[in-house]
Amino acid sequence: MTCEQLAQLYDEYALGVLEGEERAELEQHLARACPKCIPGVAEARGVVSHLALAAPSVEPPPELRAKIMDAINASGEAARATTVIKQKTFTSQRSTFPAWAWLVAAALALVTGYTIRQMSRQTDQLAELRKEMKIATTQTQALQNQLEMDRMVSSVMLSPDSAQLKLEPTDKNMPVVHAYLHPHMGVAITADQMPSMPAARTLQLWFVPKSGKPVSAAIFHPDASGQIALVAPVTIPLNEIAALAVTDEPAGGSPQPTTAIAWIAKVNN
Amino acid sequence: MERILQRDPGALEALYDRYGRPVYSLVLRIAQHPSSAEEIVQDVFLQLWRSAERFKIDRGPLEPWLFTMARNRALDFLRLKREKQRRREDSDSDILPSAVMRPDPEGEIDRSRRAEKIRALMTSLPDAQRKAIELAFFEGLSHSEIAAATGEALGTVKSWIRGGLLRLRESFGEASS
Repeated sequence: MTCEQLAQLYDEYALGVLEGEERAELEQHLARACPKCIPGVAEARGVVSHLALAAPSVEPPPELRAKIMDAINASGEAARATTVIKQKTFTSQRSTFPAWAWLVAAALALVTGYTIRQMSRQTDQLAELRKEMKIATTQTQALQNQLEMDRMVSSVMLSPDSAQLKLEPTDKNMPVVHAYLHPHMGVAITADQMPSMPAARTLQLWFVPKSGKPVSAAIFHPDASGQIALVAPVTIPLNEIAALAVTDEPAGGSPQPTTAIAWIAKVNN
Repeated sequence: MERILQRDPGALEALYDRYGRPVYSLVLRIAQHPSSAEEIVQDVFLQLWRSAERFKIDRGPLEPWLFTMARNRALDFLRLKREKQRRREDSDSDILPSAVMRPDPEGEIDRSRRAEKIRALMTSLPDAQRKAIELAFFEGLSHSEIAAATGEALGTVKSWIRGGLLRLRESFGEASS
């Protein structure tokens, strides 16, 4: 769908009723930082938020104000960020050629050579079909995984609790990497027009703490179209993160950065 | 917001005085549980305090941001509660007392006017259409979940919701953009 077609769905998406392919397609646009859909959905959220005023007006308990102010005065505590990234794994199922089929083939082979050739041809066709099915299953699973990741990325990007950061490249020829830091859902990373990388190298995202050594957050590659869209868990307290940084590392990542910072953004806590 | 950025607790008090009531009303409508609503509201204002810098940089008007955050947190609570109830029936006796229902206070004229407008709009909708929108906004149900809950056809539910949102946009769209 085009952005103009998706614009018809912004309000329903903001309300939270959209589902299925329409929702997935819009979320894919949002995950890729679509310059039309992101402000469109934000504006729709503003419209839909008016429904909040349809709730019966109720005076909050008088002590709630004092509780909030007490908590503010005692604030400074560490934010808790525990996000579990659901990593989907899939296994391929291998079925075996049924024994009876072999027996039948063998029996028929005794009868005529013609039948043997027929069986052989059918077996080849079956093997080919299985191979195609396996490829299709793998492709479907890969698409589902990508869709799930896109959905997670857009959830983090659109959350009002997320802080948006720009990771500026040290090489001015490189594109900006966008990060959305959420206290619970994790950090979403998106970028376009990234150069391709050799298989022996990987990009690695780091949480740079206010004190101590950088902590690895994720390793990733741009896809074939030069895009990045991923969500990684926040593994150190949010208010201890001084910066997000990306370095170029050997495949599999490194325990600590081994090259100069390629992208960086300071985090204001 | 500038004063909150300067870590002035008085500024948050002022914001609470302005938005505490509508935020609490929204959260209570969704959560249907006064003590949980209090916790959620407290969490929302603490988040506002901690995230003021982010809000200033990234967001538009404060009110939609605050309402969206409050709604999301309350719906999270509701979903968690439903999940628990699916596993076992709990005896939740903390029911909303009708005595806490009061009219809007004076002073928040603009919001009161908009609240009247939205309530009038909701009242003007046919019962089934209003119910569908309420199930979506206050209970976080999707198109097909609303169809299942109301026994209506999915297409009917979609057209109700679209029609209702169109009316909402006609009433408030320009003011929000």
